[in-house]
Amino acid sequence: MTQEQQVGAELRERIASQFGRSLHIRTLDTGSCAACEQEIRLLTAPHYDLHRLGFFFTPAPRHADLLLVTGPMIRAFDVAARKTFDAMPGPKIVVATGACALGGVYPADAFVHGSVGEILPVDVWIPGCPPSPLALLQGLLLAVGRLAEKTASLTFVADTTTGEVPG
Amino acid sequence: MPSWFMRGLRRGVVTTHYPARPEPSAADLPTPPAFRAQYLDRNLADQICGVCPSRALRREGDVLIFDVGACTACGRCREAAPEAVTTSGEFELATTTRAHLVKRIPLLREARP
Repeated sequence: MTQEQQVGAELRERIASQFGRSLHIRTLDTGSCAACEQEIRLLTAPHYDLHRLGFFFTPAPRHADLLLVTGPMIRAFDVAARKTFDAMPGPKIVVATGACALGGVYPADAFVHGSVGEILPVDVWIPGCPPSPLALLQGLLLAVGRLAEKTASLTFVADTTTGEVPG
Repeated sequence: MPSWFMRGLRRGVVTTHYPARPEPSAADLPTPPAFRAQYLDRNLADQICGVCPSRALRREGDVLIFDVGACTACGRCREAAPEAVTTSGEFELATTTRAHLVKRIPLLREARP
């Protein structure tokens, strides 16, 4: 391991230990239909109870560690999105939420960028339309390194030996 | 004593144990499709690409490209080809690499009768 790699590993560990404590989330709606917001709101309901895991929502980007972005990133929101991101203290995490934010529903045109990744450096992508509160929980825990990622190992090819075969 | 307090005591803890334990209600969630590769030929692949409203499916030669990130789990491909498309049941799909969400599904080389 070279010296740079060692310094990088140490820095990564220090950053991870920072995010392992309580974490404050700022949500950013860049033109979503509010279905994602509905699911994010449900995270604070008794059944999911986000606060038990040390996550809190904050209205101020200056108090936030994690930016939870929904919507297809409309062009009218460029300045506001950049200002929100710049106002957050580092180290910071950006999480793109929902099929719109991942570049699924709206193609890039004169009104939308089509994907959050076009404007902000996204760290975690959460698919779903809308992603269920459980999917959001998994994404948030993945963002702070408390759950492992399993997407890469999924093939989405059904195992036909166990599935029923139509006649 | 408010009645909701007694009701809360009667019902016990309602908060999910996820992620320490699996959540039973996760089985009811709409999830992206999974494909049965031995039923999928080029014609059927073109058919389900045509009904996808969110550009999650496209075909490149003998490979069906499925962008899980773009999928809205609407179920139209499953309706169009019920024998070849089923539900995956996967909801823990968050990833740090966008490319991990793009899946390549091999198609049959010759058309099915």
